[in-house]
Amino acid sequence: MDADELLVLVADGDQKAFEELYGLVSGPVFGLVRRVVRDPAQSEEVAQEVLLELWRSVARFDPGRGSALSWILTLAHRRAVDRVRSARAAGEREQREARRAHHPAFDQVSEEVEAGLEREWVRRCLERLTALQRQSVTLAYYDGYTYREVAERLSLPLGTVKTRMRDGLTRLRECLGGAA
Amino acid sequence: MSVLGRLLNREDPHSLAAPYALDALEADERRRFEKHLARCDRCVAEVRALCEDAVRLAWSTAAPAPAALRERVLTAVRTMPQERAPAPSRERAPHLPPHVWGTQPPPARTRTPRTRPLLLLFATVTAAAALVVAALFAVQADQTQDRLDAERAQAREIAHVLAAPDARATSSEDASGAGIGVIASASEGQAVVTLSGYDAPPSGRVRQLWLMRPDVQPRSLGLFDGDTPLVATGLTKSATSLAVTVEPDGGSEQPTSQPVAQLALKSVGFGE
Repeated sequence: MDADELLVLVADGDQKAFEELYGLVSGPVFGLVRRVVRDPAQSEEVAQEVLLELWRSVARFDPGRGSALSWILTLAHRRAVDRVRSARAAGEREQREARRAHHPAFDQVSEEVEAGLEREWVRRCLERLTALQRQSVTLAYYDGYTYREVAERLSLPLGTVKTRMRDGLTRLRECLGGAA
Repeated sequence: MSVLGRLLNREDPHSLAAPYALDALEADERRRFEKHLARCDRCVAEVRALCEDAVRLAWSTAAPAPAALRERVLTAVRTMPQERAPAPSRERAPHLPPHVWGTQPPPARTRTPRTRPLLLLFATVTAAAALVVAALFAVQADQTQDRLDAERAQAREIAHVLAAPDARATSSEDASGAGIGVIASASEGQAVVTLSGYDAPPSGRVRQLWLMRPDVQPRSLGLFDGDTPLVATGLTKSATSLAVTVEPDGGSEQPTSQPVAQLALKSVGFGE
């Protein structure tokens, strides 16, 4: 069964179905959360929140509006971004980044583990964006920066960043279109 | 950002569609944009498409989740109730689909519909504290930020009570299944009190929690806000029981009606 079919059973309180769904989505959820949050322990915490929220709030899913996996990943991304922003606000982020600078191995290892067809495809499409489109999109999505922060980091006007984000997403859609 | 800046920036809320899809808006901007979306039909389709594009960026990030996470999540799910009633949907994202409550028949499975995740506490007082707090957070997905902040602050207080080495739980239920539960720490003088299975109080009325001590007037511990757990502080060792009465909005100085629920505190370390 795919995620969409499982979600229907999960909405009915079926724990076996949830177990199967867990098998399908825990990797994508955990990977996305870790990509944004970075810190492994915090990533695990956020992924747990997301997966429990999935169980609790499954009745909110409306199949008419998109796939189950999109819904779940949208939820995961929102929670990951919330976490990374509050951590950043608390100044933990800087400390963590300082620590990471001494242990560059983490990202390298994860990239090896994650290497796969989809990863390759997305990466190739990202490479086809202009540098500013790519940076605007990835700083926001993968690093959890607001578009204001992105504008600041790239020294661009706000309007330009908004446009680069839109163009970047649209070109990504064209490039990935056939892969959906 | 200045007020003027915000006004200037308002000229085209539409331009925020892509940052919104990337979760790149600040919380208040996100709320404003969602308000705009609610009134802008042509935006909804576009925003939904952009959100689908953004999700594709997640395709490349999958990584095996730690084995311990699986164990924790699947264990928690065994005792965690699912949402059944419509949550107040003041903040609705177009790509986070609306509730389908009421459009589907209730599931045949019998599960106490009003059970809140906090009831989990009574089963698993300290061992699963972290899970419970996570569950508390999870319930609040649809709430506004202010309320969310307040509830997170409350979840922290609850976690604080739970973390006390002498935290203990007790509960009681009447014949109709309505009940009161408490997790209390005598050393901290704090308690988390929940009601379950009660109908909403009549309009203009509110449920008030009282601390009962021998030879002393009852002391108000606060008003219940719906099903939200109440965190009571300043509990003295001499406390013998808790009582709940229905009072006019705003609460009363002293109880004006018979208790609808009562709970002895002896088993959680009080009443000395």
